[in-house]
Amino acid sequence: MSNYLTKMIEPGRVHRDIYLDPEIFEIEMDRIFGRAWIFVGHDSQTPHAGDFITTSIGRQPVVMSRHTDGEIHVLFNRCGHRGAIVCNEAKGNARKFQCLYHGWTYNTDGTLRGVPLPEGYPEDFEVGKAGMGSLPRVDSYRGFVFACLNPDVEDLESHLGPTKACIDNLCDRAPDGEIMLTGGVHRYRFDGNWKLQLENTLDSYHVPFAHESTVDRSGKQFSRREGDAEGAQVVSGEEEETHHTWKERGAWAFDHGHGFTGNTALDEKTRSSPVYDEYKAALEARLGAQQAEEVLTPFFHNALIYPNMSFMGLNMHIRVIKPVAVDRTEVNVYPVLLKGAPHAMNQSTIRLLNVTHAAASFVQTDDLEAFARCQSGVVGDSSKWVYFNRGLGEHTEAQNWGGREGKSTQELVLRNQYDGWLEYMGGAAT
Amino acid sequence: MTIVDHRKIELFLIHEARLLDERRFDDWMELFTEDGIYWVPARPGQESPDDESSLFYDDRRLMKTRIARLNHPDMHSQNPPSRCCHLVSNVLVEPAVGGEAEILVTSNAIMVEYRRDDQRIFAGKNTHKLAPSGATFQIASKKVELINCDAAFAGLAVPI
Repeated sequence: MSNYLTKMIEPGRVHRDIYLDPEIFEIEMDRIFGRAWIFVGHDSQTPHAGDFITTSIGRQPVVMSRHTDGEIHVLFNRCGHRGAIVCNEAKGNARKFQCLYHGWTYNTDGTLRGVPLPEGYPEDFEVGKAGMGSLPRVDSYRGFVFACLNPDVEDLESHLGPTKACIDNLCDRAPDGEIMLTGGVHRYRFDGNWKLQLENTLDSYHVPFAHESTVDRSGKQFSRREGDAEGAQVVSGEEEETHHTWKERGAWAFDHGHGFTGNTALDEKTRSSPVYDEYKAALEARLGAQQAEEVLTPFFHNALIYPNMSFMGLNMHIRVIKPVAVDRTEVNVYPVLLKGAPHAMNQSTIRLLNVTHAAASFVQTDDLEAFARCQSGVVGDSSKWVYFNRGLGEHTEAQNWGGREGKSTQELVLRNQYDGWLEYMGGAAT
Repeated sequence: MTIVDHRKIELFLIHEARLLDERRFDDWMELFTEDGIYWVPARPGQESPDDESSLFYDDRRLMKTRIARLNHPDMHSQNPPSRCCHLVSNVLVEPAVGGEAEILVTSNAIMVEYRRDDQRIFAGKNTHKLAPSGATFQIASKKVELINCDAAFAGLAVPI
């Protein structure tokens, strides 16, 4: 391993060059996005044969498609001939994929279907081998589709580890046991490094200050879920108890950089509205009252599956982080709809996500401002380091989940991302 | 629809644009009816604000939260504040269908936003449903169809 990369991460702090150095960014694309399981999409985005979406793995354009046999494929979005993008839309349905340039056509599993004037090729050129190419590994867990450029990566479920329980909780909230990413997408971007967004997903320390303008005089945020009369207590008032609740929220850190923060303290017992009550009844009909209550008292706030996806249990969404350049990042945010839930319940989720984690939302706008200011300010030479040392060394071994346990306002789950970073960045390039 | 009526509508849209330029957000909100809607779709041709994500989809309740935040001294994404210039043009009053009291008005609009060395341009088609109210109007709904509505945006802190 390049010695200088190991020196980027120290206990409780990371070197600023990991946000600024274009060479390190290139190595991240090779070694993190080229070695880890990367979230690509969800089953519900391509329900029918021929359905496809386009996205990227690191900076490599890919297509997720459902072939005629019903299988999901993740293909390089690259013509085998001259390398042009083949699928040009964000999503669609196609009987075949055709390159615009010389008309090479592919089946929806990426195999070459035909080329114009095939007799023009030399005899030893195997046209049949020039497909779009599939990602070496593709697998899914409860409809969450991941792909990996490394053929030797461990199996997906081992990779996900305890974060599987967070996926399970999200899916179990649907009366039919499945989520749907069919409620559109929010796309935002910022002039900053991709890891700024990653850190932020599990950073509970920033909330009372960065999002101060989202709370009222009593320190409560606006309501973010169907059925809540009011939002969470964000800024601690004089009540010692509130302060305590905020500080005592847990956070859990796992192998490969994954982790999650504990649930926002909201009064689940008083959560009620005609729409919510109808949804709850539908869930109880499937699970029974006791199990439904367990599912509806979520144990996590935000979960991160390193390195490119997080999902939130409070106002439900999936967030996909796409590095563009060392100082440029795009993020796509999808409302999580619950299959079998009343239509109005899913509409409420869509509506509230507009004002929390979107480009024009009340919450995300201030995070984006923070990312941009970090990227601009960190070049200052007062220090070459940024700090993640809250609660350093104070974690315990997690009893319920494995891994390590700390408090959400400590920075264990952020330091853990850099343990993941070192794990992938280490070792010889494959 | 007389020329005078048409001019009255045009002046109302200019007034609305002026309120946004001057960051008089409370006054802007008061232009809307109690059940008024402000909608900026996130996809060309988006039919419903209910079944798909939108850039903005505010009723008066969400608008009020949004504007309380815009008035908050610690809204970091508006420090420094955006300076905006709205232009309204190509105003057309659609012929009334049946006996509807609301007037449908389409216009082309451009907003130029400047903040901390960055200037951006938003352009698109506005559709207002206006409810006559005494000598003036109230906005029953305003829909802003941006030509780049499905782009990845940097933060959008102020209404368009």
